[in-house]
Amino acid sequence: MKVRLALLLVAVLLGAAVFAPWLAPFDPAETSLASRLLPPSALHWLGTDHLGRDVLSRLLWGARASMGAVAIILALVLALGSLVGATAGLLGGVVDAMLMRVADAFMTVPTLVLALFFIGALGTGLTNVVIAITLSHWAWYARLVRGLTLSLRARDYVAAARVAGASRLDVARRHVLPAVGGQLAVLASLDLGHWMLHVAGLSFLGLGLAAPAAEWGIMINDARPFFRVAPMLVLLPGAAILLTVLAFNLLGDALRDRLDPALQGHAH
Amino acid sequence: MLGFAVRRLLTLVPLLLIVSLVFFLMLRLGRGDPALDYLRLSQLPPTDDALALAREQLGLDQPLAAQYWSWLSGALRLDLGRSWSTGRPVLEEVLHFLPASLQLAGTALLLVVLVGLPLGLLAALYRDRWPDHLTRAIAFLGVSLPNFWLGFLLVLLFSVQLGWLPAMGRDGPASIIMPAVATATMSACVTLRLMRSAVLGVLGERHLVFARARGLPRRTILGRHVVLNAMIPPLTALGLHVGELLGGAMVVEMVFAWPGLGRYALLAITNRDFPVLQGFVLVMTLVFVLCNLLVDLAYAWVDPRIRFGARAA
Amino acid sequence: METPLLRRSLLATATLAWMPQPVSRPRAATAAARSLTFSWPVNAGPLDPHGYSANQMYAQSMLYEPLVRYVEGGGIQPALATAWRQEGRDWVFTLRRGVRFSDGTPFDAAAVVANIRAVLGRRQNHAWLDLVAQIEDAEAVDAGTVRLRLAHAYYPALPELALIRPLRFASPAVLRPEGGVSAPVGTGPWVLAETVWGERDVFTRNTLYWGEAPALERVVVKVVADANTRALTLETGEIDLTYGTDQLDGDTFRRFATDPRFTTAVSPPLATRMLAVNSGRSPTAELAVRQAIQHGVDREALVRHVLLDAEPAAQTLFAPNFPYTDLGLPPFGFDRARAEALLEEAGWVRAAQRGGSRRKQGQELAFDLCFVGSDALQKALAEAIQGDLARIGMAVRLLGEDAATFYGRQRSGEFGMIFADTWGAPYDPHAFLGSMRQPAHADYQAQRGLPMKAEIDRRIGAVLVSTEEEHRAAEYRWLLTTLHEQAVYLPVSFLTNKLVYRKGFGTVPFGDTRYEIPFAQMRRG
Repeated sequence: MKVRLALLLVAVLLGAAVFAPWLAPFDPAETSLASRLLPPSALHWLGTDHLGRDVLSRLLWGARASMGAVAIILALVLALGSLVGATAGLLGGVVDAMLMRVADAFMTVPTLVLALFFIGALGTGLTNVVIAITLSHWAWYARLVRGLTLSLRARDYVAAARVAGASRLDVARRHVLPAVGGQLAVLASLDLGHWMLHVAGLSFLGLGLAAPAAEWGIMINDARPFFRVAPMLVLLPGAAILLTVLAFNLLGDALRDRLDPALQGHAH
Repeated sequence: MLGFAVRRLLTLVPLLLIVSLVFFLMLRLGRGDPALDYLRLSQLPPTDDALALAREQLGLDQPLAAQYWSWLSGALRLDLGRSWSTGRPVLEEVLHFLPASLQLAGTALLLVVLVGLPLGLLAALYRDRWPDHLTRAIAFLGVSLPNFWLGFLLVLLFSVQLGWLPAMGRDGPASIIMPAVATATMSACVTLRLMRSAVLGVLGERHLVFARARGLPRRTILGRHVVLNAMIPPLTALGLHVGELLGGAMVVEMVFAWPGLGRYALLAITNRDFPVLQGFVLVMTLVFVLCNLLVDLAYAWVDPRIRFGARAA
Repeated sequence: METPLLRRSLLATATLAWMPQPVSRPRAATAAARSLTFSWPVNAGPLDPHGYSANQMYAQSMLYEPLVRYVEGGGIQPALATAWRQEGRDWVFTLRRGVRFSDGTPFDAAAVVANIRAVLGRRQNHAWLDLVAQIEDAEAVDAGTVRLRLAHAYYPALPELALIRPLRFASPAVLRPEGGVSAPVGTGPWVLAETVWGERDVFTRNTLYWGEAPALERVVVKVVADANTRALTLETGEIDLTYGTDQLDGDTFRRFATDPRFTTAVSPPLATRMLAVNSGRSPTAELAVRQAIQHGVDREALVRHVLLDAEPAAQTLFAPNFPYTDLGLPPFGFDRARAEALLEEAGWVRAAQRGGSRRKQGQELAFDLCFVGSDALQKALAEAIQGDLARIGMAVRLLGEDAATFYGRQRSGEFGMIFADTWGAPYDPHAFLGSMRQPAHADYQAQRGLPMKAEIDRRIGAVLVSTEEEHRAAEYRWLLTTLHEQAVYLPVSFLTNKLVYRKGFGTVPFGDTRYEIPFAQMRRG
């Protein structure tokens, strides 16, 4: 029941993101100053913003930007985390020690503070927000992958493969990655919503500048001056974020129940 | 106990060194020319002469190692340099804004403990009945709420509609209510879920069955055995929440014009005021690490096994 | 020219006089009858008359005075100098008698020389200002007379001496040899009484002031970082006044303008809000494209819906209330059909499908419009302009970036269009034109592709050292007409100062330049 609800929600949101160009009734960037801040009507189902742009169209396109950003973060964090973690775990020694000290350093700082710092170093923009969130989260995954790699390396069948002459790379590809994959999937699915909130928070602070692209956090930031006159401009994108994070969290919980029975009943 | 505290403190030193080095390199090797940023913030025209002079004044013409050393030796003497935009000592400025942020994050932490733990216990005791379903649904919604958006909702309801609470500013105890609630909600909901499962775990343990068999009253069992033992996992997790709360507070500050570090850091980011960025992240790291140390110490005090474990390692 | 809001504000007192007076009294009013509470985003700073950056100009102009004062329209009036004359390349000033700094030190020729030499000692800090480069030295002729020796007969010497910084005067007793001042001591009507970092600065009357004493006894300036909080504190009576170009955002100002409890006013034009159009890059290198942009943007709509009528629409680079600028240049005017015809003629034709952008020989009619991403007003204007230009078949890519990248683009010329306001009085037009010769300015980059750019630069250089009034007027006419016809600027509106105060507070006049706030002329009651 939970799995079906989660999948249904995620599918609807992904559908909105993928098919936004066909679903959106208007061009999300088309301005019309004469019809600014309109209430919902038959023409503009959710009204218009401060530049007369169609809010529904912007929300649909916003699904693209917001979910796209999270998808890229997911890919980057998994790639970077697995690379560093597996390297440290498989090579061991000095390399391991150095990589893990760096990872520790990244884990010593609150993630949002760290992300703020990286945006300061890299400059603002949605791309840099994505990079900053990646850089502030990879260490947790590197730690996890390293731990799993170490425990796997000690297992008999991996040792046997090494004795049989398989290269380290082969071992990593054939034995370590598949075993680590399940665990990573669970952790990542639980983190998707978290990242989504981070992206939204940073763009709300005005750091994810990407005008005129519609992104939910940016839409809220744009709408702030009009909060008293047109609160819906703030409330609607926020509701979209809430719904998406809810869907991700449901999916994460469901996935954990399915893949990781040992954890069941623990944190929910 | 003191020995444990000292040992824990000593392990922090190399960690903080690495943190500061990583950040230093990120800023220096990052995009752009710091000398250009410096001139822009000082409102000087960026001629070639002025750029060369600025590089010399800022020490940017020296090797990276020397630059890092001069920053580090300054930091050890509590001198984090001067802001490029205001020309004032960074430490002084950060310490000016820090109390308001700590007050907000601290109040939020209090809310997390005072709301998260009792509701978690309640949910566990009424397992699978309506109070459980209700709190769990709220908790599930709560962990998915963007904190700044919740802030706007609260303003709309309690300031605009009802006129009960001030919409912004830091003026009197009423003004902290909404910012603290918006900051605390997510962590409180996570704590609620942790507490619930911990209580359920303890309730299933064997010694409880014995206690019940010995005929102890239900109230005593709950108080002495269940609650105390179940509180350990959520309290341990509090250390992590401190980080979330500090970060969350800075976002929420912007909704309520709360005069904390959030706006200050944001200005440093958009201005690319490097000394401020460096000082800000270092102070926040220190605060975070010290809070975690406090949690660890409290935990070690409650549970002596930690101390022995630390000694063995 | 006169917008409805402007008109309403100017007539506010009369038209709203019949409205019932509010019963609630502002808190500040009862606290101190002869004090005024204002707000500013940051503290006043170290208050060095020769410093930039952290020194806030409004506060520098409260403490320090110039030799001569600039008044609206380009007039020059006596301040610390009572008379002046040009002797060849030199200027000779007769100083006002009996003036003392707030520490009691007499203001005399030695004090003037000490301050000017302090500025000349750090010429690189002031490289942006032509006058500092022109001054070779200052000498005391006698205790009451000073001679400024210039390299050329530089005509804008007087308006540049009127600037808030760097050519104003601190007591020689506080000038530090390494630059800066050890304490803020000037001759102005105010002294700094207290400064609490992050909270407030308090100014009180200078008891030694040579002129008429201010009607107010105290000016308290609270540090209020953002516009929302400022609006709220104004409403609760915690502050008495907002004054500035964007102390409040447009919607909030409009709300106050319609609120019978408050008086609002809009100043005459002080500078120009505009975008530079790059003539050195395709496709804006074509005159037809630049002219089409002028005809394609509906400035009136921008002013009405984005700027909310708080600023008049601009059709020329400078407003007519500046020296040499009242030329009656023909406005381009909003005319979409005309813009489309210009583009068609130039060979830019619409792609087959409706709504697409125009093309010529396979090249798309597309360029970048750059703005500071965190500036909500620039962002809204950029998005609106993009929408307008899309209608005539131009694809505008918006680049909202951080300030560092933005100013980098101004320097390097990597833009199609970029926001670049003029500097306002007393810099406009002469100092602004002077900067057009510097490659590090957006204006130079925008004009780089013009066939007559060398001629423009030569004439700007000549007009600044021309001593004949008629010749100067003719040169300015040629320069401003050429720049207008070449359409390398898209003026949007004329920046104004806006003020809001509680009705019945008293009298609040506007200053003559953008950053001057005339606290000394404000009175309660």
